Amino acid sequence: MRRVGIVGAGITDCRSRWVEATYWDLFQQATKATLEDAKVSTEEVDSVVYGIYNDIFEHQAIPESSLTGIIGMHHKPGVRVTSGGATGFYAMRAAIMEVASGYSDVVLCVGGEKATDCFDPISQTQTPMVIDTIAKSWDPFFEYPLGATASDSYMQVCMAYNDNHPNDINDPVVRAKIIEMLCRQGNRNPFGQRRDETVTAEQVLESRWIIAPFLRLLEVCMYTEGAGGLLFASEEKAKEISKRTGSPIIWVKGVGAANESYNPGRGGSYKPLHRIESDRIAAERAYKMAGVTPKDIKLVELHDAFIAQFMVTMGEMGFVPIGKTRSLIDDHIMADIRELGDNDAPKKGQLLINPSGGLIFGGHFVGGSNMFSTWSARREMIARNIRYSLVHGTGAINAVFGGAVVLELEGGV
Amino acid sequence: MVLKPEFNLPKETSEVTGKDGKQYLQFNTSMATLYKQTYGEHSRFFFALKEARLIGSKCTKCGQVMVPAATWKCPMCGFAEMKEVTLPHRGILAQTAPITIFPSQSFIGQAPFCRGYVDVATDAKVASFLPSRLKTTTGIPRPGVFVKGIELKLVFADERVGSILDIFWVPMSEIPAKLRKKEPLFERELDFESPKLPKIKANKEFKPAYTSLMQLLKEMSANVARSKRSQQNLAGKKYRVGVKTGGGDFTFIIEKNKMGVVAGVAKKTDFIIVAEDPNVFIKWINDGSLTDAVVEGNLWLPSREAFIILPTLDRLPRSIRRDLH
Repeated sequence: MRRVGIVGAGITDCRSRWVEATYWDLFQQATKATLEDAKVSTEEVDSVVYGIYNDIFEHQAIPESSLTGIIGMHHKPGVRVTSGGATGFYAMRAAIMEVASGYSDVVLCVGGEKATDCFDPISQTQTPMVIDTIAKSWDPFFEYPLGATASDSYMQVCMAYNDNHPNDINDPVVRAKIIEMLCRQGNRNPFGQRRDETVTAEQVLESRWIIAPFLRLLEVCMYTEGAGGLLFASEEKAKEISKRTGSPIIWVKGVGAANESYNPGRGGSYKPLHRIESDRIAAERAYKMAGVTPKDIKLVELHDAFIAQFMVTMGEMGFVPIGKTRSLIDDHIMADIRELGDNDAPKKGQLLINPSGGLIFGGHFVGGSNMFSTWSARREMIARNIRYSLVHGTGAINAVFGGAVVLELEGGV
Repeated sequence: MVLKPEFNLPKETSEVTGKDGKQYLQFNTSMATLYKQTYGEHSRFFFALKEARLIGSKCTKCGQVMVPAATWKCPMCGFAEMKEVTLPHRGILAQTAPITIFPSQSFIGQAPFCRGYVDVATDAKVASFLPSRLKTTTGIPRPGVFVKGIELKLVFADERVGSILDIFWVPMSEIPAKLRKKEPLFERELDFESPKLPKIKANKEFKPAYTSLMQLLKEMSANVARSKRSQQNLAGKKYRVGVKTGGGDFTFIIEKNKMGVVAGVAKKTDFIIVAEDPNVFIKWINDGSLTDAVVEGNLWLPSREAFIILPTLDRLPRSIRRDLH
C-alpha cells in the first residue's frame, strides 16, 4: 500500500440556504478552492470521488453526472459515495484507497449538499420537509411508518447509554458548557455558518426542548448548504505539490471504518443500543493502522450531530472513559480556545475538539461534512504544529455507521 | 390518500433575495414517486399481524430469534434456514424510549408519540428487538412512563391493514388484570379516551406561588386585551381549560380573542390539565413555554387535543412583550 498525503483543501461558505447557487456551483466553488490551494490544475487530477448523501435533497438521481464537466473532471473516472451522515468519511476512504492502491496519483474528493430547497407547504417552512427527507433513510417496512426522526434515533442511543451509565451525559450544565466552548471556536471559522453568533451555557439551558432530557434546540447540529474538497496524492506527487505550495503534507496514517447491524438487539451480531460500537471499532482500527494511541492525538474533529452523542463518541474513541465522558469538562480535558489562541497546541492531557465549531456551529453539508472537518484539522495542525489529529464520521439510523481517520503533519512534533 | 392535497403547489416560479441583495428565481416542484411496494419476504410477518398474531424467525442452527422476521436466512449461521415462531404478546422495553414532539412532515398531527425497541423473544439467548409505537392509557406520553425494563403488553389495532402500526405496546401495569393474559388484545378493549387525572396533594408550600400566579394571570388577561398580536394568536379559538395545581385550581377561558381566568375548575371544561407546581405557569408567563413543561413531564395533559393548543398559549407571553414592553 502506498503512502497517501493531503495536499490541498477548500470549502465554501456554510449557509443555511444558498439561493445564489445550485449544487453545481457549490461543487465548483469547492473544487476551485481546493485546486487553487494545491496549485494544481484540473488536468493534473487523475480521478474524482463525490460525496453526496441524498438524491432527494439534490432532486436528481445521479447528481454527480451533471457535475463532471462543470468541475473539469471530464474523461476521468468518477465515483459517487453515499453512506448517510458518514458519506464524507466514506468518500475520503474511497479516495485514499484509490491513491494507496496505485490506481491514481492525484484524487479530488469533493462533497456537498443542497439541503434546504425542500419546502413544506403546510407550515410554509423548510424544516419539517428536511426532517422528512432524512427520515426516508429508515426502511419503509418496519421503521419509517413509526415516525422516527434523526434526532429520535440518535437520542435513542443516548438514552440507552444513560440507562446503562447514569450520571454522565445527563448533566445539562456539562453539555451546555461544551456548546459554549464550541461556539467560541466556531466564531474563529471564517466559513462557519454561525460564526457571528454568541451562545452561552445559560442560553443553551433555556432553549426549547426537542427531546427531553438530552436534546434542546441549541444542542443540535445544523442543516447546511455548502461543499468541501480535499486533494489526496501519492507520496511522490505529494512531495512535488508541497514544494510548489510551500504547505506541509498531511499524511493519512490510519483509516478505520465499521458499520453495525441495522437491527438492534441482544447478543449475536445485533446492535447494542447503549453503545456506538461503530465509532469504537472504527477508531481502534485507525489507531492500529497508524500505530498510535488516543494519547498521541491532540486534535479531534468529531462529527457532533448532537452534543450528547459528541460525549458518547469521545468515550467510544477512547479519549475519556465510557460512563465518565463528562470529564471532558470536569477535568478540563477539552482545551479552552481562549487560552490557546490561534497558534498554540493544547497542553499535555488536553485536546482541541472541533476547532471548526463542528457540525453544530461550523456547518453540516452532509455529503461533505467530514471533508469540512478534515479541512479544519489540516488548517489547525499546520497553524499549531500538531503532529496527530483524528477526523470522525458517523451516520445512519441509531449511529450504526462509523469512520475515523488519523492524520499526521509532515515534520510535526 | 397517499399525498396530501396541500402538497400540490401551483406550477410557478417566484423571486427570492440572496445574501448579496440580488434577486434569484426559485421554481415549485416535487420529487414524489408512487409505489405499490412489495412486502416480499416480509409478507408473512404482516399477514400474521392482520390475523392478530406476532411471529418471528428462529434459526434452526443457533436458535437466535429475529422479530420482526426481517429475514428467513440466519446471517449469523451462514444463512441457515430460519423457521417461523409464534411470539408471546408481552415484552420488555429494551431501553428508555424518546418521545417525539417535533415530527417530520409526514407525521405532523400525530405528535406527541413514543416509539421504542421491545425485547419480545426474551427466552432466546440472542434476539433482535421489535421497533414499535408505545402508547399509554394515562394521557399523552411523558418522561418516566416508558423506561428501560418495564413489562409491556402487545395490543392490536381494531382495524389491521398489514402495517407495523397494526400493533403497539402498553405498559402491563396499565392493563386490567383480567386482560393481561388475553391474546390477542385489541385496542377497543382498552380505554385511551378518558385517562384518570394524576393525583396531586394540596401542598401548603405551593400556596404563595398559586396566589401570585392568579395575580399574574389577571394582569396577563388585561395585557391580552391590549395586545393585538395576542388577539391574533387567539383568533377563532374557543377553549375552557381546567387547571389543577398543588397550590389551587383555576380555569382558562379563551373566546372572542380574549383570555379570561377564574379560580377553581369550572363545571364545563374541554379538558383538565395538571401541574403539581404552579410555578410551571409562572415560568410560562415569564417568556417560558408550556410545551417545554410537558416535554419535561411537569405538566400533565389528557390528550393530543390538549397538546395542540399549547403553541397558541406559548405565543401569548411573547406577543405581549412585543406589543406592550
